[in-house]
Amino acid sequence: MANGYAGKILRINLSTKEVTTLDTAKYEEFVGGIGMGAALFWEFAVAPGDWDLQDAFDPRNVVSLMAGPFAGTGVPGGGRTSICGIAPEPFPTPLFHRTSMGGRFASMLKLAGWDGVTVQGKADGPVWINIVNDKVTIEDGKSLWGLNTFETQGQITNIVEGRTYRFGEEWLKVGDDFTTMRPQIVCIGPVGEGVTRVAALIHGSGVSARTGGFGGVFGSKNLKAISVIGTGAVQPADPKGLVDARLAHMAGSFRMGAQPGAASCMPCINSDRKRNSYYGGEAMCADEYWSRANGMKGADIAIKWGICTWATKFGGALDMDVKGAPALFKGSVPMEPGIGWYIKYLYDLGVLGPGKKIESYPLPMEQWNTLTFREIFCDAVAHKIGIGADIAEGFLEAVKKWGRLEEDLNSGALRVPAYGAIWHHTLPGVDWAYAYILMSGDPMWHGFFTALSGGGGFGGGSKETAEQQVNKIAAKMPPYDDDPLMLSNCWKGEEARKTGIYSAHKAKMVAWARHYHGFYNESLALCEMLLPNFGGISPDMEHRYYQAVTGTKNTVADAIEIGRKIWNMERAIRVMAGRHRDDEKFAPFMFMPGATFNMSGSKPVYQDGKWDFENQSDLYLDREGVEEFKTHFYALEGWDTSNGWPTRETLEGLGLGKVADVMAGKNRLGKA
Amino acid sequence: MAEPIKAENKTKAVARRDFLTGGAAAVAAGALAATAGGAVASQAAETVPKSQGYIVYDSRLCFGCQSCMYNCSLTHEGVANPSLSRIQIVRDAPSFTKYPLDVVISACRQCVTPLCVQNCPVGAAYIDTANGNIRRINQEKCIGCQTCIKMCPQRPHRTIWNPAKKRSTKCDLCADAPYWSEKGGPDGKQACVEGCAAKALKLVHEAPSQQDVSGYDVNLAPEPKPKTFPKMGASPKQPAAKQEGA
Repeated sequence: MANGYAGKILRINLSTKEVTTLDTAKYEEFVGGIGMGAALFWEFAVAPGDWDLQDAFDPRNVVSLMAGPFAGTGVPGGGRTSICGIAPEPFPTPLFHRTSMGGRFASMLKLAGWDGVTVQGKADGPVWINIVNDKVTIEDGKSLWGLNTFETQGQITNIVEGRTYRFGEEWLKVGDDFTTMRPQIVCIGPVGEGVTRVAALIHGSGVSARTGGFGGVFGSKNLKAISVIGTGAVQPADPKGLVDARLAHMAGSFRMGAQPGAASCMPCINSDRKRNSYYGGEAMCADEYWSRANGMKGADIAIKWGICTWATKFGGALDMDVKGAPALFKGSVPMEPGIGWYIKYLYDLGVLGPGKKIESYPLPMEQWNTLTFREIFCDAVAHKIGIGADIAEGFLEAVKKWGRLEEDLNSGALRVPAYGAIWHHTLPGVDWAYAYILMSGDPMWHGFFTALSGGGGFGGGSKETAEQQVNKIAAKMPPYDDDPLMLSNCWKGEEARKTGIYSAHKAKMVAWARHYHGFYNESLALCEMLLPNFGGISPDMEHRYYQAVTGTKNTVADAIEIGRKIWNMERAIRVMAGRHRDDEKFAPFMFMPGATFNMSGSKPVYQDGKWDFENQSDLYLDREGVEEFKTHFYALEGWDTSNGWPTRETLEGLGLGKVADVMAGKNRLGKA
Repeated sequence: MAEPIKAENKTKAVARRDFLTGGAAAVAAGALAATAGGAVASQAAETVPKSQGYIVYDSRLCFGCQSCMYNCSLTHEGVANPSLSRIQIVRDAPSFTKYPLDVVISACRQCVTPLCVQNCPVGAAYIDTANGNIRRINQEKCIGCQTCIKMCPQRPHRTIWNPAKKRSTKCDLCADAPYWSEKGGPDGKQACVEGCAAKALKLVHEAPSQQDVSGYDVNLAPEPKPKTFPKMGASPKQPAAKQEGA
């Protein structure tokens, strides 16, 4: 097989305590990361046909933590861990979800000789998995249960290392080998142990996989942690070319918010992460702004408890006066309004509080903006005390229980674009928004958000004209490189349907973004904040790494085609879990003025026969337009436009004939 | 060749960072081994020619990404293997020591008094006079006795053990890095230095003070404070590079 792989995948069944080894070569066509994770999920959770894929906490759920070929090779940002399985957080039902995290876990897996670890079943008591190179044991986790994530990792480090000397003093002997590195651990805190829908996986002092709620999946399996330490090597095809690529990358790139450098994806030179910020400073912006007023001290609480800082957001980094936003925001729309923000909204309305219709016990609502409140909030959720029991069931589940779902969706108070996932930089870049409904919520992908900007946004100001910009970027997007109209963000009038955000042109951009993302970011497992940089060195840079590490002869177009295959593999899982065209819809606020958060600058727009940049801070969507877009999109992807299901022809064309067979068995194949 | 150092009759104050990084083990053993090399430096300085190149670093500027480690093992060994890197960034995660003590940079000091060279029983560790007097280990001659590892006065030791080859190796300032496109050595470029996005590593030509780590762990922050990570500037109290004899 290609270079860059460890060659084997670790499979663990916690019910039967079986530890088996899978040959990575069998899954190589799915590249790594989410690609392989989806293929493993299909094989072990879907293909057997004995499970309806509805309950994320079912022991049959398969959660995979996968490395990509870049992990452990020193590719900057290449050490991400891709995680997938049925996730409990989405509303109204759990969904197949992919998320990823930085840190050193994936790199260490590779150095220990594994391309990933896939876990199924449920242990009969608390356990943790101990990987020391090729030696894998399921350890008793009783003494760890109840500990926070820092304590857990500290205890495991002591157990694995058995150190008798102080930090930084000596090499650790592992078998016949040595390392100065420490075991890398993914674990859950009390919020995950409580099998809640708002629990994160925590790694190190602040890295977290914080969408989907996979912490609760670990909890449901009685799995406290996975620890890995390895002393091996990863053999890139062209070590010299790899180092040269690194240096070229460093010399040729600067993008606001991300710089190349980090060999293992974390710590990162990203502006959010600094070694001295707090406890090693690994926390991300999402965590840092979980408690806006208290910064990293708030993040510290969230990380120790292992709560999803995304779903439970208290408002995010800032508020803005968003043009046309509903009056209920009083001119102050929060950037990321999660559960934490929403309970304050209800408190201010007078419907939530001590003795109110929605009893707030044990939350001290008058101390909402304090660290004390955050501690009590996490405790209440983890142990399902009072209102915490409602919140533990997930954002919109709680809202539904409180009888406010219809009202607050329709008023726009619930800024949750789809499946209960909160607002991120969803608009005006509609490619991001559409990915919310086509997947399982936030795609966490800044690709075009940074590139297509006439000023402002992460991309910074552009000196190019709109026409120059779209032509330059479209040329990088095979096989659609002949259609720059796909980059038009025109949202008004007939032009929006003809060439703009509801058109067949836009479908190409959205599809390409999913294929690119699925391949480079999620399966090669490359930090999406670092690359792509379509305004500059992409896709040449990431492809150069791909070639140096794996020795591939594939072109960018070939890679995008593999991305399409991975995208269809994911789609097949979602369809088998019940996904239908009718489910792929936005929350009402997306169709209301004020849907866009006022910070993303202008976008290129084609109108009246010419290109220009347009400030789109007032953009919102049109229901019929979105339906038209969906039809265009499904048709482009070779899916049945009536239900969004892939056709046999499409799947077979991608070498997924066996997937089509399984789908046919359950009447889930689309009609051509 | 000098006798192995007997440290027990050497007394010297232990710098705080020394204690935190390497000193503790030595103290526990009843000998100030970690600083002994420095203590004898002035006596033995004339016995071997000084290296013409030294890697100094700023452990406050480093963000612990290990790029240098990957670059080192890739350029020297052709594989990505942090354990084979001749520079080690020891990062206390996930054990959560607070900044700036969470990172220990472990780079070969190209010692003025190179105990690895002086104690090698077969002459495999040598002064490469053709390459600016770098302290190196000849892989053909090395018998894998690990004396150079045991004699390295630093903690963790800077001589590296390759378990597969059963040979010791060490930093050669990239004088012999088969997968490195640049010219290495004291008058060339080093893969670790060039690969450091934090600019926390630097090649200098004058021997740093051998007294403790402060000669090597120096302030490399650009003036004024670095703009790209404003909270991470080096402390103004941190001393500039001390030069030998200064």
